[in-house]
Amino acid sequence: MVNFALTVFGVDWVFLKPYIVLGLALGGVYALSGVGVVVLYQATGVLNLAFGAIGAAGALIAYYFVNHTSLPHWFAYLACIVFGAVVNVAYGMVFGPAFAGRDPLVKMMGTLALALILLGVMAWRAPAGGAFVRVLQLPTSNDRYAVFGAVVTLTQIIALVFAFVLTIGTTAFLRLTKIGTAMRALASDREITATLGVPVRRVELAAWLGSGLVCGGAGLLLADLFTSLDYTALTFLVISSLAAALIGRLRSLWVTLAGGLAVGFFQAVATPYASITNYRTAAPFVLAIVALLYLGRHRTVTLSRTAG
Amino acid sequence: MLKNDLLPASVARGVIGRSAAVVAFLVLALVVFPATLGGDWIKTLTSVAIYAVVAAGLVTLYGRVGMISLGQIALLAIGTWTATRLSYATSLPFPVLLLVTGAITCVVGVLIGLPALRLSGLYLALITLMAAGAVNVVLTTINFPNGGKGFVGHTATPSLEGLKPVTRPGMAVGDTAYYRYTVVVCAIMFLLIAVHFATKPGRAWASIRESEPAALAAGVNIIRYKLWAFALASFTTGVAGGLFAAQLGQPTAFGFPTQDSLTLLAAALIGGIYSLWGAVIAGAFSQLAPFIFQAQWGVDPNFLLIIFGVGLMQVLLTAPRGIVVQMPKDILSLARLGANLFWRVTGRRGTG
Repeated sequence: MVNFALTVFGVDWVFLKPYIVLGLALGGVYALSGVGVVVLYQATGVLNLAFGAIGAAGALIAYYFVNHTSLPHWFAYLACIVFGAVVNVAYGMVFGPAFAGRDPLVKMMGTLALALILLGVMAWRAPAGGAFVRVLQLPTSNDRYAVFGAVVTLTQIIALVFAFVLTIGTTAFLRLTKIGTAMRALASDREITATLGVPVRRVELAAWLGSGLVCGGAGLLLADLFTSLDYTALTFLVISSLAAALIGRLRSLWVTLAGGLAVGFFQAVATPYASITNYRTAAPFVLAIVALLYLGRHRTVTLSRTAG
Repeated sequence: MLKNDLLPASVARGVIGRSAAVVAFLVLALVVFPATLGGDWIKTLTSVAIYAVVAAGLVTLYGRVGMISLGQIALLAIGTWTATRLSYATSLPFPVLLLVTGAITCVVGVLIGLPALRLSGLYLALITLMAAGAVNVVLTTINFPNGGKGFVGHTATPSLEGLKPVTRPGMAVGDTAYYRYTVVVCAIMFLLIAVHFATKPGRAWASIRESEPAALAAGVNIIRYKLWAFALASFTTGVAGGLFAAQLGQPTAFGFPTQDSLTLLAAALIGGIYSLWGAVIAGAFSQLAPFIFQAQWGVDPNFLLIIFGVGLMQVLLTAPRGIVVQMPKDILSLARLGANLFWRVTGRRGTG
């Protein structure tokens, strides 16, 4: 490969190419989680802090099936995704109606309760100990490709493609299908939607189901991309994953996708610079803060409780 | 007329009752506990007092003003860092060190709060969570001071002299003495907050919590009082951080993970977010309960997480005022139930 420098804004972009590729792969995961969070928030008003915990628990189940049973691997991966859907739908069925009229903050704390319970169960049933490290590697991680001087695995490519497919698919679903239209109506006003004869609870359960499937899928991908299956880290990865959703203001799927990619991009591009490399994990937080402040600049006092 | 005559007496009775409860609690904390409990208990109780003050910050922000902050542990970390740095750089007397630490943390808290005023509800909660995440990354990178040079004060090769722990006040070097010192300082912080609640800022905060437009129309300076609440909560949390620095001796960034801000809020909600007693319960819940589970009973502390989650869910759904209100109510109804059963059983025996 010919070595030359393409310097724009005082930055050598050729040198950064591999980092950009890795950043986009990482950004795909942030975007994926972000889109899953936004869809559920829009339809039900619940900001799911248990997103990471459910994914981690699903991945742990998949790990168990892969390593301690002779069942086919695809079954284990399917179990992870189904687990995400089942837990999400069960939570939505039992606690959804009870929290329906409450403040978004209370709804969020409800999912924190679920996250704590899941984390407790995981730590009790599968204690993490000393040198023992669980690794859940998807078969797609063995396929490696060299892209612009960076080695990426098929899993990373899947994560990125999945993020795009999910955004396009969800946007189309919300625009074109009847249930999607009902979800958008729910997002603007639950009571009025109910008065119009929309089966509100069934539509909400559909949102929980969709978000649960994404949850399980993201858990599976994250457990692989994270090198080790550290459920505590995965559970609270939701904090940095929220950044993408916040950049999209918990509203726009496309801005969430772009936000997730931007977070991954900045995090990876900061890697080769010694002065900022240790601060790169702050990228999601800083970007989210900047975005929130920028979007909140016109705030006025309103009577509405939902106004941000 | 009758009402006017009755009101002051009932208010006075309430004040006397509450003061008696506070005095009894302080006697318990300052005299009974140190006399009866061992070393590990005392160390844990010191942490309980410190975390109770942090939870009291949440009571102020959420219970009074209706603003939620998910970055209180990050503020505690900033307070601890500041006190550690000051302890290495200066030889300030400990109370002055605490005040300076409180003041610096207060400035940081207000600086975080200032732009956050543009946001409310969920977005305010999340921006403070993001700020906490960023603070944690910075602290993990620059590390806590250990006698190095410069602003950061961290060195990879600390000298033996540099590794000396944060200096405790001369009158409270031992663990028990330092525990008493901490309880007294924390009680003063609670008093400071209680005085705020009872006076003009408390009323302004309550009006903001009920309705911002109404408060605005009534002439309450919303910006000023919101910042005031941030300043008060940050100051007390900063002082708690200073106490924590000397309690730990050599603090590290690992002691302040971002998720602790979330779990502390959960503890404050369980304890009772509308009451300062709830903050005390929250401190006990987050620090004492793990100690009792693990060190005393040998139970896997992860069960505590499950209990924590179930308790949080229950508080959110059925008892929004938390243990501090619910528990006496439940005990009373249980007693009534027991008494009814007793009379029914004995009554039947009597007639039969």
